[in-house]
Amino acid sequence: MSAHKSDAVIIGGGIIGTACGYYLSQKGLKVAIVEQGYLCSGSTGRCIGGIRQQFSSSGSIRLMMESVKHFQNMEQELGTDVHWHNGGYLFLAHSPQKKQAFLSNIAVQQAAGLKDVRWVEADECREITPGMDATGLLGGSYCPSDGQAYPFAVVQGYAGKIRQSGGSIHTFSKATHILQQGGKVSGVRIESGREFSAGVVINAAGPWSRDIGQMAGIEIPVEAERHEALITEGVEYMNIPMLVDYRADGGYFQQYRHNGQFIGCYTPVPNVPGHSTDSTFEFLHQMPKRMLKLVPGLKDLKVIRQWAGSYENTPDGNPILDRTGLDGFYTVAGMCGHGFMLGPAMGRVAADLIVSGGRDLQYPEFALKRDFTQAEAMK
Amino acid sequence: MASNTDKIVCRCEDITESEILEAIAQGAATADEVKRLTRAGMGHCQGRTCRRLVNQMLAKALGQKPEDQRPITQRAPLQPLTIKALAEYKEP
Ligand SMILES: Cc1cc2nc3c(=O)[nH]c(=O)nc-3n(C[C@H](O)[C@H](O)[C@H](O)COP(=O)(O)OP(=O)(O)OC[C@H]3O[C@@H](n4cnc5c(N)ncnc54)[C@H](O)[C@@H]3O)c2cc1C
Repeated sequence: MSAHKSDAVIIGGGIIGTACGYYLSQKGLKVAIVEQGYLCSGSTGRCIGGIRQQFSSSGSIRLMMESVKHFQNMEQELGTDVHWHNGGYLFLAHSPQKKQAFLSNIAVQQAAGLKDVRWVEADECREITPGMDATGLLGGSYCPSDGQAYPFAVVQGYAGKIRQSGGSIHTFSKATHILQQGGKVSGVRIESGREFSAGVVINAAGPWSRDIGQMAGIEIPVEAERHEALITEGVEYMNIPMLVDYRADGGYFQQYRHNGQFIGCYTPVPNVPGHSTDSTFEFLHQMPKRMLKLVPGLKDLKVIRQWAGSYENTPDGNPILDRTGLDGFYTVAGMCGHGFMLGPAMGRVAADLIVSGGRDLQYPEFALKRDFTQAEAMK
Repeated sequence: MASNTDKIVCRCEDITESEILEAIAQGAATADEVKRLTRAGMGHCQGRTCRRLVNQMLAKALGQKPEDQRPITQRAPLQPLTIKALAEYKEP
């Protein structure tokens, strides 16, 4: 079997792998994506499509402001309707501590250039969210330029562009070995024994990125954590933003503009470590309880489906975007449950890094070797 | 693209035969991939009607037997349930 030849092999066909592939193709590189399942079979096809710029560190805020610009132009750029809609995000504060935390984050966000984020009092929260029960609510952090898009369409859009530029996508192709020659990376071998040779290899394997690193003896500190989600039937658009309730019995949910379905999830306490796609009955009745508490008018909506997938956490809640100890081998992973929204900007920045031969590190805070103790507050 | 004579395969999401054939032509080799490309099986009935049809179409296009096609993943709840009914559930 002769080896497949390209300029860059990307391991992983989620949002990160396809975004990296798209931006590298735009720079004239021939890319090959190897994906163990099909496109979106990892975390990307399991996410709820939320896109926000409200973070607590200036790196993530700036990166997300760029991503939002990409989402705004995406339909034109990719020739596919990705259902981008700026429905906004409203983070709810039910305690003085939360309010204080949001106020200081808003100051950081505004200083980073995010001008339309602001504190809104409880009355205005109710206006922004028709039908909301504001019991105990002190107010919220609101950014109307945050929004939503449809993950499958975004990934297919990138994949289409990659193929148009002469790149290739190999599904049901599981990477098993990182190949090296003369101290440099030289390609990837997949389970069938087929080899993909290239001078650049990118680990975009999300929750599995640690395993890929290990194939080259490189430690990638990414841990999978199970998160569940559900979706309802579609109903008329109610014009409410993505609601984020960080309380232990809270959750996050939004309504898709394009088809009226409500989609939501929450972070279980305690967390559920390890990769698993098993869903639970507990989630199936807890999530509706949490949605009803915030918007009682949703009571007659029907839930049609539930599922689960992985967040891919790093110790400090920030992604990893860097070269590694092995020349030509890069890691773009550990998106900490925000990979869909970060994807477009991550892909752009990663492509710049790779064509610079690993020198153009625009976000030193995402380096592989860093002090992992400064945690992102708006997880 | 849907034409006047095109048959609807997924009634919940309004997905036609030609849209499914197009997904297969794009490289979809499993019902799960067809679902993610077209939304066939993602609607209210969760593929109860269309999953057999999609498997038949895949089998025909790929020269395989329909029974060898892996069906789309079945997910709970088996039948749509209201937010209220679910929220009222109390731990025994
Ligand atoms: C319930 C839930 C809700 C979420 N909501 C949001 C949200 O609203 N907004 C947001 O931005 N993010 C959200 N996320 C997080 C988001 O889904 C992830 O951060 C993102 O999808 C990560 O993308 P990725 O490309 O890095 O990983 P993935 O999509 O997992 O892609 C990695 C791919 O690598 C493949 N792979 C693994 N090992 C190998 C191998 N050996 N060989 C070949 N291929 C391999 C996998 O099959 C997989 O397809 C949510 C996640 C969950 C679970």
